[in-house]
Amino acid sequence: MNSIGRIGILVMLIIAVRQDSDAAANMYTLSGIIKSSENGEALIGATVSTRGDRIIGATTNAYGFYSLTLVEGTYVVQMQLIGYATRMDTVVVDRNQVININLVPELIKEHEVVITGERTNANVTSTEMSANKLQIKDLKSIPVLGGENDILKTIQLLPGIKSAGEGNTGYYARGGRTDQNLIILDEAPVYNSSHALGFLSIFNSDAIKDVTVITGGIPAEYGGRLSSVLDIKTDDGNMKAFGAKGGIGLIDSRLTLQGPIVKDKGSFILSGRRTYADIFLHLSSDTTINKVRVYFYDLNAKGNYTLGDKDRIFISGYFGRDNFNYPSLFGFNWGNATATLRWNHIYGDKFFGNTSLIYSDYEYTNTATTGTTEFTINSGIRDVNGKLDFQYFLNSNNTIIFGLNTIYHTFIPGTLTSNTALSGNAQSVEHKFAVENAAYFSHEMAIVKGVKLNYGLRFATFTQLGPGTAFTYDASGDVIDSTVYGSGKKIITFTSLEPRISANFAVDDQSAVKASYTRTGQFLHLLSNSITTNPSDLWVPSTNNVKPQLADQIALGYFRNYDNNEYETSIEVYYKNMQNIIDYRNGADLQLNPNVESQLSYGRGWAYGAEFLVKRRIGAISGWLTYTWSHSKEQFAKINAGNAFPGRQDRTHDISLVIIYEPAGRWKYAATWVYYTGNAVTFPSGNYFVDGRLIPYYTERNGYRMPAYHRLDLALTYTFSERANLNVSLYNAYDRWNPYSISFQRDPNDLTKTQAVQTTIFPIIPSVTYNFNF
Amino acid sequence: MKTTSSFPWALLLFVLPLLTAFIACQKIVSIDLNEAAPHIVIEGNITDQHDTTTVLISKTGTYFSSVINVPPVSHAIVTITDDLGKRDTLYETLNGTYESTTLKGLEGRRYSLKVVSEGNVYTAESSMPQKVTIDSLYTIPVRERDGDVGYDIYVMFKDPPERGNYYRIRPRVNSLPPDSINGARTFLYSDKLANGEEITERIGVRIRNGSQRAVVHVGDTITVDLLSIDQPTYEYYKTLATIRSSDQSATALSPANPNTNLSNGSLGYFSAYTYDSKQIILR
Repeated sequence: MNSIGRIGILVMLIIAVRQDSDAAANMYTLSGIIKSSENGEALIGATVSTRGDRIIGATTNAYGFYSLTLVEGTYVVQMQLIGYATRMDTVVVDRNQVININLVPELIKEHEVVITGERTNANVTSTEMSANKLQIKDLKSIPVLGGENDILKTIQLLPGIKSAGEGNTGYYARGGRTDQNLIILDEAPVYNSSHALGFLSIFNSDAIKDVTVITGGIPAEYGGRLSSVLDIKTDDGNMKAFGAKGGIGLIDSRLTLQGPIVKDKGSFILSGRRTYADIFLHLSSDTTINKVRVYFYDLNAKGNYTLGDKDRIFISGYFGRDNFNYPSLFGFNWGNATATLRWNHIYGDKFFGNTSLIYSDYEYTNTATTGTTEFTINSGIRDVNGKLDFQYFLNSNNTIIFGLNTIYHTFIPGTLTSNTALSGNAQSVEHKFAVENAAYFSHEMAIVKGVKLNYGLRFATFTQLGPGTAFTYDASGDVIDSTVYGSGKKIITFTSLEPRISANFAVDDQSAVKASYTRTGQFLHLLSNSITTNPSDLWVPSTNNVKPQLADQIALGYFRNYDNNEYETSIEVYYKNMQNIIDYRNGADLQLNPNVESQLSYGRGWAYGAEFLVKRRIGAISGWLTYTWSHSKEQFAKINAGNAFPGRQDRTHDISLVIIYEPAGRWKYAATWVYYTGNAVTFPSGNYFVDGRLIPYYTERNGYRMPAYHRLDLALTYTFSERANLNVSLYNAYDRWNPYSISFQRDPNDLTKTQAVQTTIFPIIPSVTYNFNF
Repeated sequence: MKTTSSFPWALLLFVLPLLTAFIACQKIVSIDLNEAAPHIVIEGNITDQHDTTTVLISKTGTYFSSVINVPPVSHAIVTITDDLGKRDTLYETLNGTYESTTLKGLEGRRYSLKVVSEGNVYTAESSMPQKVTIDSLYTIPVRERDGDVGYDIYVMFKDPPERGNYYRIRPRVNSLPPDSINGARTFLYSDKLANGEEITERIGVRIRNGSQRAVVHVGDTITVDLLSIDQPTYEYYKTLATIRSSDQSATALSPANPNTNLSNGSLGYFSAYTYDSKQIILR
């Protein structure tokens, strides 16, 4: 707490110093909220800037708030956002003013609006690097498996983000592992982001407003994971009129209802979807099959209300469940629940604050039946989370953000119960408890013309609390000592001091060099006995045996726009060093094991690469092409004889091409093509007999490569009217048999021979989705 | 009792019905594997019965070789010593096969194996656990929906009150090796989940199993051995089973050689175990 205090004082000092220097001139502040005229949604990332010789600008935050401080005078102020008509107003700045603006979507083209056709160069001028926003309209156009628009699949097409496998929602960010990605939905961390064993994400794209992915130069307000941030914000709901939209697809159907609670004051949105494959199973005449339950559903609900000019309250929730039950044999049920209560308050025309109370829960249940005995295993993680975030828009050259965060974690590593009197064997691995605190600040400043700096610091602490038992293990993983701690007693504390720095050196209006250094810490670790995202994956805290993971990343980039910002290009190189990454001892037993910490092995990892991007965001033909060259290595004392080996996330080459063609008229076309180097895998290099059976002999970890992966997807959207469209897509259009796995077996025709069998799970797959909108 | 079932991937078909028509296309591919330098493999067993104590020594062979080519290792010096200092040298009966007919294991004794071959020394130790007997062995005929017809064989035994007992169940059909039942399954059991209980383990044998040939017939004799093994042996077989299942599962973690109690990088294991056998005739 002492250190948090110190950081607070530091922030105050900086504010004080900067205010001094500005006090001389007559400065006034324009502030307000920018919304869409169509539905009253607050617009994120819209720019408000002066026109003329000296351009001074501000950008709206996650809640649509902007604050622009100018020297007294008369200005032409321009407000713009891609997809919206640019608006210009003449403003006499002679006092502080609140100016709330509605921007008109370009499609509507009301005549009083000036269409300038100008494009922003925000990608060049900001200090932000290694970050990408996913346009929601692109998300809806890009073809994906089964016709399901899916954020987690679509972000895998962005530079720095790589698919963890065929059809998998798991992803690797710059050579990091899948558990090193922070995924937040309306400020709530999501602990398992997949449905259907990893083939679909839990995010219903009908309810999504804004998606940002950051793989480097991670801002100080984000923490707790090493490699990336995926920040997802949901729609607020239509403030103007009631509406319903939805879709009917092959896998599931979706329905979203939204409308005002009080027009222009408050609104709600309810969005749900469910799969229906199991409905066909009910029709089966087989009395077992028709009791099989296989489905998932999810529900997003959100309401907001504006109280006067300065306050807005949001309440939002997510609830999703997967169900996979085979009567009297087994059952798997899992899902996330999150709830967020937020209060936006405008403390002044320069000072915006958000207070959040968040609850996140992930739960997994596995039932197994043998005879009349039914066993149930439960595991999961539960968070209660409080956040304070403030933004202080001191003047057009200085923005300061700071905040505090406290999370109380409850880890449920596994409880076994049964319905019979085997009471002696009902087992419960102790729940674990921890509190994670963080304080951060960052200061974005224009030092001199053409040089911007964003420096910040995040200080995090993590304390494992009792009740609990801390075990000490010897080298072979056997318990040699244990200490029992009472409720609320501190077991161990870790701290992490994380500097975050990024800088922008403008070459001219169209090009800039950027550099960043980021340190990130991670106190939670995901244990998985599979390479894909699995519902049984277990989150565990840092303890006396499990050290926090740490990463340091440096990145350097050159950003250049062409043709009046019509084309964006960038090259980024990075190097990332990761400490205390986790792997498993051979044959590790992760389930229901009170000594699961003895099954782990700790090592280091390092990743480096270069990412190239060419992008066109506007026009009839838009899209992007990205190429990444990279390596990701790992080293553990007890694995692979202590030699470094390529991690599973190691990809030498990775290419994504996205093209969206929208000519005037009713048709819209989209195509994506991906290519990447095959995964590093372990294959045998010999064999031998044990117990009369031939056993493969392994010489090195991940010493082989799967064949390269490549795939073309096509999508065609036909718009009947503003109210309905039909989307036809083709996944894997040229029917490439990409390897999901390669296994070895005896040749059935010649038992003396061994053969390699490649399994492909998704060959060419067509799908159709009908979307409607009322 | 299986409480930690892994995901039945095949049932995933229900989740994405449109994929059922296409899912899981397979083809034979050619993979270029590195040729590893031959590596020593030692497999040693000593039991509490009047079995021949045997140590097999060989070297690894080429993975894709059309002829199974695992060369035996001759002229090794193989000794087994117990914790009372009693020592026996095994003699080579066949190339790479070292035997002793005089050495018989005893419950609770600890045995050390020493192999000297081509100038290298390999050692291992194993403790012979307390013997646990099979209380009963019975069969129940089964006829499953998918057309499988056969038997479930139930093995019942009482786990001793103290924790830390490990078992391996070795079924045989008419004395044939266990491979002929349920393919490559290794029946391993630890008292971790149910200590001190009366344990019932089920082994399925089938007369007709899909389109595959019959593995048992009415009138066959099923012999079931209940092996009490020590923790390192259990660990060995458990990690061995991981390799076998990783051949099948696309999503398993990186396979590695099984955890052995042998020193100096040798593959294989040395196990001292007790066992009890019971027989039943399928009717």
